[in-house]
Amino acid sequence: MNRKHKSDLVILFATLGLMALGLIVIYAIGPMRANVLNSTYGTDYDSNYFFWGQLRSVGLSLLALYAAFKWIPCKYIKKAAKPLMIIALALSGLLWVLSLAGSGAVKCELGECRWFNLGSVSFQPAELLKLALVIYLADFLARKKEEGVVGKFREFWLPLLIICGASLALVVVAQGDLGTGVALLAIILGTLLVSGVPTRQYLIVLAIILVGAVGAVAFSGHRMERVDAWLTTLTGGESSDSTYHVDNAMLAIGVGGLTGVGIGNSVQATGYLPESINDSVFAIMGETFGFIGLFMVIAVFAALLLRMLKVAEHTPGTEERILIVGVFSWTLAQVAVNIMAMTGLVPVTGITLPLLSYGGTSMIFIAFALGLVLQLSCYTSREVIKNEDISSGRRLGGTYHSSRRRSS
Amino acid sequence: MPRSNFSKPVAASDHSHRRIEILRIVLLVALGVILVRLFAIQIFEHSSWVAKADEQHTILETISAGRGEIYMLDKGEPVAVVLNQTTYQLVIDPTVTKKEDIKYVVDTYAKDYAIVDLDEVYDTEGLRYSIVAKNIPRETAQQIADAAVPAVWLKKTNQRVYPEGQLASGLLGFVNNDGVGQYGVEGSLNKQLAGEDGLIKATADVNKVALSIGNDNIKIPAKDGENIVLSVDRSLEQGIEELASQAIKDTAATNASVLIMNPNDGEVIAMANLPNYDPANYDKVASAADYVNYTTEVPYEPASICKSFAFSAAVNEGKMTADTTYFNEHYTTVDGWKIENAEQRGILYGTINMKTALYWSLNTGSIQALRLLGGNPNQITQEGREKLYDYYHNKFRLGQATGIELIEAEGYIEDPNEGWGRDSTYANMTFGQNLGITMIQTASAFSAVVNGGTWHTPTIVKGVLKNGAVVPVERTDLVEDKILSDETSAAMRDMLINNRSYLVTAGIDRPGYAIGGKSGTAQVIVNGAYDDTFAQLVGSYIGFVGPSGELPKYVIMVKMWGEGQGIGSGDAMDLFNKLSNYLIDYKKIKPKA
Repeated sequence: MNRKHKSDLVILFATLGLMALGLIVIYAIGPMRANVLNSTYGTDYDSNYFFWGQLRSVGLSLLALYAAFKWIPCKYIKKAAKPLMIIALALSGLLWVLSLAGSGAVKCELGECRWFNLGSVSFQPAELLKLALVIYLADFLARKKEEGVVGKFREFWLPLLIICGASLALVVVAQGDLGTGVALLAIILGTLLVSGVPTRQYLIVLAIILVGAVGAVAFSGHRMERVDAWLTTLTGGESSDSTYHVDNAMLAIGVGGLTGVGIGNSVQATGYLPESINDSVFAIMGETFGFIGLFMVIAVFAALLLRMLKVAEHTPGTEERILIVGVFSWTLAQVAVNIMAMTGLVPVTGITLPLLSYGGTSMIFIAFALGLVLQLSCYTSREVIKNEDISSGRRLGGTYHSSRRRSS
Repeated sequence: MPRSNFSKPVAASDHSHRRIEILRIVLLVALGVILVRLFAIQIFEHSSWVAKADEQHTILETISAGRGEIYMLDKGEPVAVVLNQTTYQLVIDPTVTKKEDIKYVVDTYAKDYAIVDLDEVYDTEGLRYSIVAKNIPRETAQQIADAAVPAVWLKKTNQRVYPEGQLASGLLGFVNNDGVGQYGVEGSLNKQLAGEDGLIKATADVNKVALSIGNDNIKIPAKDGENIVLSVDRSLEQGIEELASQAIKDTAATNASVLIMNPNDGEVIAMANLPNYDPANYDKVASAADYVNYTTEVPYEPASICKSFAFSAAVNEGKMTADTTYFNEHYTTVDGWKIENAEQRGILYGTINMKTALYWSLNTGSIQALRLLGGNPNQITQEGREKLYDYYHNKFRLGQATGIELIEAEGYIEDPNEGWGRDSTYANMTFGQNLGITMIQTASAFSAVVNGGTWHTPTIVKGVLKNGAVVPVERTDLVEDKILSDETSAAMRDMLINNRSYLVTAGIDRPGYAIGGKSGTAQVIVNGAYDDTFAQLVGSYIGFVGPSGELPKYVIMVKMWGEGQGIGSGDAMDLFNKLSNYLIDYKKIKPKA
């Protein structure tokens, strides 16, 4: 392993910056959300309820980030890969069984049961599953590579198929959570890509997944509806109930113009735009901050993501590299699919915008994942790792390097 | 020196690096596509999204103006006869509201206000909205609200209430379900009563609640309607309605209308149309005819009452006096038509004077007045017709809306020259047939006959109630027209008092009062011609009341009728007699020796 140096500050500050921005936006629109819920459903949310909730999430996320960064050395992560995956699958399975039994421990919204009800807080096991899958795949793929069985059916594809299949089934079928499904697929495809799978096999897998996705959509009523709605919006057709969400998301973004209407002046957040504080927060930011604001948000995400790839390129360990790519794929999938849905480019799947959307579980787990990447960024080599075949498992030493010292 | 942890990547030959490059391309392409899309939406399409947003976010809402109340006078002080009350309706959505829930609410609180059969409501397929109960008072509504039964809604409604019940319903009218005044004062003064609704134009949230966001919000406050004070005396109105109702019971008549006004200024102090209807349940009447205010809305033929107008014209033109004589043969012939007197007793045959002719209400007498008016005692002339038209139409303003603050019919007065059979038409007009005039027109003209000769626009609105005080309404269209000389009016009063001389003897008219009057029994036109079988008649009577030797204080007009009933002026006069005595007592008119 390389000598430890300072962590990647771009990743750190991008993460912190996005969290802070999310807090500001929730502070501005949380009262509107509370007001809408109170007047529509007779609830009694305090106007700052969502801000405090987000603040709590940010606090816990920072803790998770710090824990992943400082307290949990990567070798423990490696050891925890299998148990973590088993726990994640078991929790998702348990959720499914409990929801079938109609248990009160399960929280359902709009007919989809995705949360454990833990008193005042809820917990979404799918978020844990994403993290677990990243860690597990990193371990699994690296191990298989070391064993030299990558691409073999029995040793490689079969176990992969079982684990990934089970994960997808529990999330997409049992919880009806297509958004998480897309994230899981992105993680699988991303990590597979850098695991040394032969190009032909990779393309076949890609094709199978595409066919499967189209099939899953075609055979599921409400997913087809969403695609219909999406096509309608994309082609500028008439509004309907199904297109309401994306119509209003685009309306919010469109109203924002170049510079936005300013903090606290969003009208779409007063109940017109569904999920305004979570899945649709990007659209509200578009209304509030305009194109310039969104451009900057995307630039921050771009910096974060590009930096992750850079760290991956310079990370000597296969497992670590795969892990970083997994986190990258996860983040990219959520960012791209969320924003594309808000702009009518892809159907709405119900996926959060990392670090910005309201919602504790999602932020905590992605923060933890980013914490791991930060930890790994302390051990990069100066050179791009070009030797694909790191068979010994012993990391070839890179040169000690600290740009800070050198550049200051 | 790069400020980076990384040096430039060296040319890589391995898969891993190339494949990470693929991820980088995927990332950049995805973000690039997103930025292009955002640029299109936010920059190119910006204005069209703003337009859509305005459409979606802007609410235009009217603020309902409170409807003015209606007052009458009692001892000169305004008292409300039409008030507003906030009540509540119980509303359900049968597809959402549980039947047992609403059943519980109705049984527990709103039994008296229920208007539907719940079983029927729940058996109706596709019904999403049902008003289960209405007119629920505030306290009961509060109890229902406190019970917090799910999916049961209370809807606030504004309702007219009538503390005097059915009193003067034909005068007051009602407010329909759309909040628009119909008939009566509610109908004619709807604009003043309704006021002006205000307007809110604002950016609103999804529940249509106005937001403080946005700087083009508009709020125009509502202007509440005016509280109208009528010159009608409430207690007097009650008294005369009781007498009129009794008269209907005592005679074959089914309807009676009564009008009492001050002849000296045109102010109406009572206006009744019996039977009344219940304005709170205005939809329960048998036909819309029950709503009609017969004193102003229906032209008819007041018959011999009009002899006072024909006589006034001839006297005022100096062509005739009460003592002018003519030869009465019980009939006269005009345009080849034989027109007979109703009264044919023998002692009237021969030369009689006009006073006598009016006393016995002889048609030959009023036709003679028309002949004299035209300058030829033997025949009706064009000059006579034109003069009578001038008096009837231009001076007495018959066949024209009077300008009272109510819904009015105009009626008609035939042209003196245009058309066939002008002489017989005008002969008929002298005894009040072949014309169409309303009671208010008749009473206003009669007021001019007896008040010294001045025609006043009749009024029924005293003013508007502002801060407890009655503020008169400024009107520039009020007419005060001296149309007859004082002498003519005095002569007419004498003759009209003479008409009732036998009633003084009979002890019906009390001594010390000047009470004059004229009866009218009108044939009804059946199939385009007067029905000579006299099976159906409309009885009218008009008269004045005052202390002896003074100008009259009040003019009273009565009309009584019934479908298929021969109601003579005798019935109407009986009611007049009761009314005149009641009025003397009520108004404490002091007799003069």
